[in-house]
Amino acid sequence: METFYSILPELIRIVVCAVCGAVIVFGNALVMGYAERKLAGHIMLRPGPMEVGPHGIYQLVIDGLKLMGKQLVVPAKADPLLFRFAPLLAFAPVFVPLLVLPFSEKIQGFDLDIGLLVILALASINLLAILIGGWASNNKYSLFGVFRAVSQNVAYEIPMLLSLLAVVFMTNSFSLKAVVAAQSPVWFIVIQPLAFLIYLVSIVAETNRAPFDLPEAESELTAGFHTEYSGMSFSLFVLAEYANMFIVSSVATVFFLGGSSGIPLPYFEYSGIIWFMLKVYSLMFFLVWIRWTYPRTRFDQLMNFCWKYLIPFALVNLLITVVMVKLL
Amino acid sequence: MDINQVKKQWQELSTAVEDVEYAVSGHDYNVCLECDKVRDFATLMLDEGFYLVDLMAVHVTPAIEVVYQFAHFETRCRVLARAFVDDKVEMPTISDIYQGANWHERETRDFHGVVFIGHPYLKPLILPEEDVDLKPLLKAEAKLKDVDAVRRKPPEPAPAPKAKPAPKPEVKPAAVKSQEQS
Amino acid sequence: MSMDVKALEDDRHHRYVLNMGPQHPSTHGVLRVLLELEGEYAMNLLPVLGYGHRCHEKIAEFKPAKSFMPNTARMDYLGALIYNHGFAQLLEKAAGIEVPERVEYIRVITSELNRIQSHLLWYGAYLLDLGAFTPIMYSFDDREHILDILEDVTGSRLTYCYFRVGGVSKDIDEKFVTGTRAFIKRLRSRFPMYEDLVNGNIILQKRLIDVGELTPHICARYGITGPLLRGTGVAYDMRRAEPYSIYSKFDFEIPTGTKGDCMASFMVRFHEMEQSLRIIEQALDGLPEGPIMAAKVPKKLKIPAGDYNSSVEAPRGELSYYLVSDGSDVPYRLKVRTPSYSNLSVIPEMCQGMLLSDVVSAMGALDLVIPEIDR
Repeated sequence: METFYSILPELIRIVVCAVCGAVIVFGNALVMGYAERKLAGHIMLRPGPMEVGPHGIYQLVIDGLKLMGKQLVVPAKADPLLFRFAPLLAFAPVFVPLLVLPFSEKIQGFDLDIGLLVILALASINLLAILIGGWASNNKYSLFGVFRAVSQNVAYEIPMLLSLLAVVFMTNSFSLKAVVAAQSPVWFIVIQPLAFLIYLVSIVAETNRAPFDLPEAESELTAGFHTEYSGMSFSLFVLAEYANMFIVSSVATVFFLGGSSGIPLPYFEYSGIIWFMLKVYSLMFFLVWIRWTYPRTRFDQLMNFCWKYLIPFALVNLLITVVMVKLL
Repeated sequence: MDINQVKKQWQELSTAVEDVEYAVSGHDYNVCLECDKVRDFATLMLDEGFYLVDLMAVHVTPAIEVVYQFAHFETRCRVLARAFVDDKVEMPTISDIYQGANWHERETRDFHGVVFIGHPYLKPLILPEEDVDLKPLLKAEAKLKDVDAVRRKPPEPAPAPKAKPAPKPEVKPAAVKSQEQS
Repeated sequence: MSMDVKALEDDRHHRYVLNMGPQHPSTHGVLRVLLELEGEYAMNLLPVLGYGHRCHEKIAEFKPAKSFMPNTARMDYLGALIYNHGFAQLLEKAAGIEVPERVEYIRVITSELNRIQSHLLWYGAYLLDLGAFTPIMYSFDDREHILDILEDVTGSRLTYCYFRVGGVSKDIDEKFVTGTRAFIKRLRSRFPMYEDLVNGNIILQKRLIDVGELTPHICARYGITGPLLRGTGVAYDMRRAEPYSIYSKFDFEIPTGTKGDCMASFMVRFHEMEQSLRIIEQALDGLPEGPIMAAKVPKKLKIPAGDYNSSVEAPRGELSYYLVSDGSDVPYRLKVRTPSYSNLSVIPEMCQGMLLSDVVSAMGALDLVIPEIDR
């Protein structure tokens, strides 16, 4: 009983963090889904959703209800267990990275010493889910999407890692809180602009967003790896995609844009979250913006760009960083 | 491309080369061929820089007539070459010379049943596989016409009646006047 | 199934057949292409046609020639007025009917508006295939202006049946002229935006340059005409080569490319829109007064025996009608030679060994309208 009481605060903390994580994931999906459709509409000279609620605010809620009401049609020759398992595998790992992010000085789930490694490791599970889902669909188009997704995601993880490693070398720690604290005089985007650019391009490819959305290229593959999914399973993939966008943008904010630092507001240890969210959502706005502006790259151009340009530049950047850290 | 030079070569290969009035009929030359000379003709046209506009068939009485239409990129010269199919409703293919003819010949096979010898893949193009014997554009017995019925009628009788009215306006008023006077 | 798919798959173990089926977002219409893929590379392409066959040529043998006019519009729904023009011209030449001058001007103005509308749709849809979701909205916005103008005078938005043998069905009024002039000004002001945002985009250029190269010799062998041919450098346009109607009166350029790749035909079509605007301006300036129908057009239009050909420049290439008549008012044989038919036949040669994304780019650059292939 004593041990239970002694660990009760921790238990409560875990439960609260998990609930907050869920709120963030679903809240983010609602906000981002609506924002994407409205922004897409305005970029295309049309108003976007307007019917459901004032200016279409309740659109995503109703869409969620609609998708929940739909039947998951399992193709006859699809692998029944894996087909149903893939969306869950895509969706489950998005909660954990949220526990490690420093939303402000005091608001953080768990300040792990290996925070960055946790985030990067779990981000790779999404690829496994895509692979399982596409394969289990027993559909040539899905398989095609999966070929592309696997090559693309595996390739673009490397520049992502290398650019983040440059920052880690400067701060000597994987802990996200330490990285934010190290940016007190000046943000790392000023010191490491190249790393920031490389990271920005990599996250577009990692989250399979245009112009790198070949795995789900509509006009070539009729929806790629999620061709056969409908209803809640499809929406789980979409939720996972938006949550991934949030996570990678948060990592960019923490590593390059100073985390929750900004003009001090009252109760800044808690209100720093406002600055954090502002920065994260402006990065997500950027991601949405380029999706609706640029055409899609061709697959070999995508891979060439990663292996022949991004990775050498990231390595050079890392080398220079190491040299400078050693000298200074 | 020297048109006179080419015309001479056509005359060697063909049975007849006619000049046609472009303003009425939209093409310049009409060449009648035997079906075994079609491939040589096509090779000649490709060497001279003509492109294949069209390849189609018309169902008339002695035999189905296959019409090839060529035109030239640089000079205005639109040529219609015709050949009757042989007794077995066959014709040599030109699809190895003009690859565009590949699909035109498949369509002609669909619609008229003309088999092109040497064609690499003579499966139905526009019609479904099971309708390969349908041959929809073959005419029914009652509607089938002779090849002369669909040829342009020679314009010679026309100038003769036109020539006569010309002197008449000169003669008649004088005759009328003389009649009136008398 | 019947297409020897099983044989293809068994023969080459590491290849598989992917069906870009009759329903597909980027085959514009009901076209089915069987792709034999080795990884991402298309080794063999087999287009399967006939899903939209509506027996137009058979219908022509049963209706009086004059009544075939609506059918011409259904063959190419985007270039319907130009299809009308070719057919009206064919019958007028055959029957010896001379059309008034005002009719020629109206025909040219409306045909060129139709050409611009077709190119705008192609532009937006092609970019949609390539993954850019926004330009289609902008080009359709411009296109709506043309559709409104043409709807007032023709009565329809897409499959126009406006031309008649000997004239047009309804006269154009002041509203049409002012509307068209306003549209010319508007479209000219939009071109710089398209140039900057779309044509200059590095991703688009990398997708289109050096993809699907054609040469004049390939075009001669396949019968490819239109912007694809002009992209290879041959300045062959029916409006210049065999001038019909009053095109010889107007001063316009024929845009050509050099390399014959997708980018060349893309830019040719883009510049053709500007040249069409020039033609429309000159035609509006010189529009004469007069009747809109020829003096004596018989109700039962007997076409003298013989064969007749009429070639016009459709947005996709050379359109030729070939009519064989036996002297009555019902044609003995009518063949419609449509440009997309010959243009599509080149893809097995052009797209062999290409990546799948390039096949999509190449097919979009062909600017296909499938109903005119199947007729």
